[in-house]
Amino acid sequence: MVNFAVSSEMRGDVAKIRLSGDLDSSSATLFKDAVAKLAPVPPKTLVLFMRDLNFMASAGLRILIFAKQKLGDQVNIYIVQPQEQILDTLQKTGFDQSVYIVDDDPL
Amino acid sequence: MESFALNARKFPGSLTSLADIRHYISQVAQHAGLDKHTVYKLCLAVDEIVTNIVVHGYGASRASGDIFISTQVTDASLSVVVEDEGPPFDPHAFKLPSDKDLKKPLDSRQPGGLGVLLAFESVDKLLYERIGNRNKNIFIVNRQTEKS
Repeated sequence: MVNFAVSSEMRGDVAKIRLSGDLDSSSATLFKDAVAKLAPVPPKTLVLFMRDLNFMASAGLRILIFAKQKLGDQVNIYIVQPQEQILDTLQKTGFDQSVYIVDDDPL
Repeated sequence: MESFALNARKFPGSLTSLADIRHYISQVAQHAGLDKHTVYKLCLAVDEIVTNIVVHGYGASRASGDIFISTQVTDASLSVVVEDEGPPFDPHAFKLPSDKDLKKPLDSRQPGGLGVLLAFESVDKLLYERIGNRNKNIFIVNRQTEKS
């Protein structure tokens, strides 16, 4: 049973996606689909709320790469309140250098 | 030295097994007295290798198969043994992303290799053996919390 949920909203040129549960290779498609839906009118800012995301495998990292490549390298990606272990993954893989990691909704 | 093995478990070689496998590993690791951060990292390491087995092992060979997991706890460590019957895959022979690769911006990154990198980074040792028709990945985590 997939313990993962995605909800998204688009306002102007800002997209906000909330992730909760466990993001692994079996659930990553839901996240990828949510990002792909933004592609026709790419946002300038993508805000990912991760406070309620309890687990993230490399499948989640691949979607972040997909987001940059699909939405354009000009899109700014914010990650809000990642849990300690997920922050560790972002740092070990250098992803923290390409996204903004923040404590609050930036917009 | 205290040492006990817990029952081996068999899971279908499918991505839908990932959550069940993490749950099982998490229970074993907590029982071994590992802290929350170490439990998470062990689950991450196993998750990444099992994903490779399912996608690149059983998936690439168009074969179905199972994942066999057994565990052993000693005073010094917890070992998790993950076995599969897919084609040989030694994670040590895999070309990991270099430091230079990890500093590239996301739009010029290649998505491959991050899972195996995380597997190695997340446990104290990751060993590999090929025995007969089975791959055997052995994840070893030191029980530091027990020693301190």
